[in-house]
Amino acid sequence: MSITIEQNKMLIQMIKEFTANELAPLDMDIDSRGDYPDGLFQKVVKTGLLGMTLPREYGGADFDYVAASEALEKMATGNASMAVTLEGHFKTIEQFIKYGNKALNDKYLPSASKRIFAFSMTEPSGGSNPKGIATRAIKQGSNWVITGDKIMITNGGLAEVYCVLSKTEDDQLAIFVVDKDMPGFKFGKREDFIGLKGVPVGEVVLNHVVVPDSHLLGVIGQGLEIGDNAHADARVLMGAVLAGITEHELQTAVSYAKERKAMDTPLYQLQVTQEKIADIAIAKQNIQALYQKGANDKVAGKPYAEVAAMAKSYGSRSAVAAGDKALQILGGYGYSHEYPVEHLIRDARAMELAEGTIEKMNLEITNAEIAK
Amino acid sequence: MKIVVGIKQVPETDSVKIDPKTNNLERSGIQGIINPFDKNAIEAALQLRDQAGGEVVLLSMGPDSYTSSLRDGMAMGADKAVLVSSRAFGGADTLATGYTLAKAVESIGDVDLVLFGRQSVDADTGQVGPIVAEFLSVPQVTFAETVSLESENTIIAKRQLDSAVQDIKLTLPAVITVRKELNNPRYETPVNMKESFEKPITVWTEADLNLDPSQIGQAGSPTSVTNVYAPTKEVKKTTILPEDPVQAVSELLGKLD
Ligand SMILES: Cc1cc2nc3c(=O)[nH]c(=O)nc-3n(C[C@H](O)[C@H](O)[C@H](O)COP(=O)(O)OP(=O)(O)OC[C@H]3O[C@@H](n4cnc5c(N)ncnc54)[C@H](O)[C@@H]3O)c2cc1C
Repeated sequence: MSITIEQNKMLIQMIKEFTANELAPLDMDIDSRGDYPDGLFQKVVKTGLLGMTLPREYGGADFDYVAASEALEKMATGNASMAVTLEGHFKTIEQFIKYGNKALNDKYLPSASKRIFAFSMTEPSGGSNPKGIATRAIKQGSNWVITGDKIMITNGGLAEVYCVLSKTEDDQLAIFVVDKDMPGFKFGKREDFIGLKGVPVGEVVLNHVVVPDSHLLGVIGQGLEIGDNAHADARVLMGAVLAGITEHELQTAVSYAKERKAMDTPLYQLQVTQEKIADIAIAKQNIQALYQKGANDKVAGKPYAEVAAMAKSYGSRSAVAAGDKALQILGGYGYSHEYPVEHLIRDARAMELAEGTIEKMNLEITNAEIAK
Repeated sequence: MKIVVGIKQVPETDSVKIDPKTNNLERSGIQGIINPFDKNAIEAALQLRDQAGGEVVLLSMGPDSYTSSLRDGMAMGADKAVLVSSRAFGGADTLATGYTLAKAVESIGDVDLVLFGRQSVDADTGQVGPIVAEFLSVPQVTFAETVSLESENTIIAKRQLDSAVQDIKLTLPAVITVRKELNNPRYETPVNMKESFEKPITVWTEADLNLDPSQIGQAGSPTSVTNVYAPTKEVKKTTILPEDPVQAVSELLGKLD
C-alpha cells in the first residue's frame, strides 16, 4: 500500500468515527433546531478538520481532493450540513492556493485551519449571471474601496474571511479578500432555507470596506475564471456530499424494508420495494463514480469542470429522486419529521441551486460537448 | 517528562469468532485497531506532556502490522514509537510479554512514567502492566480513574474500589494502568496523521535488548492454553410467577418438587 493510500485510509477511518460519535446522533436535532448545537463547530475546529486540504507550509494536512471528497461523503452520510460547511471552506481556500499572491496567502492561510473562509458571488439581483453584479471596487491609491451586498453565502456569519466578486470602475470582474473585522463590514440576514438547516447561509454587507492591493485574488479581470474554478471544486465536493446523502437514504430505506411487514411479508420481499431500493443503490453508485472521477482528474491535473458539473447536476437530482423513493418505502412515516428521509430530500434539493443551478450546469455540460 | 505508553493492537470487532473446527480465532479480514483502553492511556500521557513538557513514546510488542496502530497513536499526538518485533518473541504469555516490555522500557531509558490500558479487549487479563512494574521494580497503581501530576516526581492516582476511593501518591518512575473513565481520548487530527509518517518508529529485536533468552517467547511463558472454544449458547426457560404472593409461593414450591 502506498503511503498516500494508507494516509487516506486513516483519514476516512477517523472521519467515520467522528461522524458516528459526534454528528450522526445530532442529525435530526440539527434539522429541527435549524442550527448547529453549541460547541459542535468548535469540536470540528479542534479536531483539525478545517485544515484537511490546506498545504503543510500553512499548518494544514494537505490531503488531496480524492481524500477530502471521500471524507465529505462519509461525513454527509451522518450529517450533510457539516459536510457542506466544510465544502464551502475547502473550495474557497483552494482558490487562495491556486490564485493567491504570496503576501495574501502568508497573511491569511495560516489561520485557515482555525477559521472558515467563504466565497461570495450572489447578489439580490441574481446569482446565475455574475456579470450583472452591482458590487463595486474603486481604486484609491494602493487600496481598493469595496461597496456591495452579497446574499445566500454559505457559512455567512460563521466564516471570518470572504472572497468577494466585485466590478471595477472599468467593469472588469475581480475578487477581493475581505475580513469580517474590517471597518464597513457587516453581517446581514440569515436565509430561512428549507434544508441543510445546520449551515448558516447569509448576507454580508460591505460599506466602503478598504483593502490593500495585495487582497486582490489573482488579477483584475480574472473574477469569472476564479468563480468558475471555485464552482468546479465545489461541485466535486458537493457530488461527494450527495453520494453521502443518498447512502443515508439507502440505509434508512433498507433497514425499514427489513423490519416493516406488509401482510406478513417484509417489505423488501415485495417487487415494488425491490425496484425502489435498487434504484436508490444504483443512484448512489453513479453519483460516487462521477464525483470520484472529478476528484481523480483534478488530482491528476486533467480538466475536471465538466465531470464536476455532471456530479452535482446528476447527483442533486438523483439524490432528491432517491429520497422520494425512500419516502415512499417508509409510507406515512417517511412523510414525518420522525424519520430523516424528508430532511434528506430538502438537504439534497439545495444542491440543485447552490454552486450553480442545474440549468447553468447543464448549459456548461452542453457547451463542453458542443466544443468537442 | 518521558512517558511510555504500552499499546496493543486488537481486532476491530468485539465479535471475533472462533473457528469451530480449529478452535482458532478467525482474524482474517478483521482490521487491527489500538486496544480501546490504551487510547485512554495515550490521552492521559498527552495531557501530562502538554502540562509538564517532555515526550510520549509508544511501545508495542508484535508483528510488523502493528505499525498501523503505532501510527494511529502518533496521529493522536504521541512523539515517537518503538516496536519490539521478532519471531523469538512469538508465543509469549503475559509474563514473557511483561518481561520483554520492561526490558524495552529500560532500553528507552530515563522513563518517568509507564502507562497502560486496564486490560486488552481480546485477552482481558489486565496482567501486563503490573508485570512490567514488577520487572522494573517501580511502584504501580492499577485501574486509575484520575492521574494528576503533584510535583516534578510525584503523581496522584485515584482508584475506585467497591466501597472506597483510594488516592495513591506515587514517586516516579512508576507504572499506572488506567480505566476508560479517566478521559475521552482525542481524535486523530489530519495534520498529525501526515506527521505520523514522518515520526520515527524504532524496531527492536531480541538482539537490541539486554534479555535473558529463556524469559522471552514460548520459552519464557509458563501459561499453556489447553483449550479455546466458543461457549455454546443456552437459552433457559423462564417462568414469571404471579404477583399474588400466596399463589407465587405455591407455584414455586410446585416447581421445587
Ligand atoms: C444552500 C445554498 C448555498 C449557497 N451558497 C452560496 C455561496 O456560498 N456563495 C454564493 O455566491 N452564492 C451561494 N448561493 C446562491 C446560489 O449560487 C444562487 O442561488 C444560484 O446561483 C442561482 O441564483 P439566483 O438564486 O439568483 O437565481 P437566478 O439566477 O435568478 O435564477 C432563477 C432561475 O432562472 C434560471 N436561469 C438563470 N439564468 C439562466 C440562464 N442563463 N439560462 C438558463 N436558466 C437560467 C436558473 O437556473 C433558475 O432556475 C447559495 C444558494 C443556496 C441555495
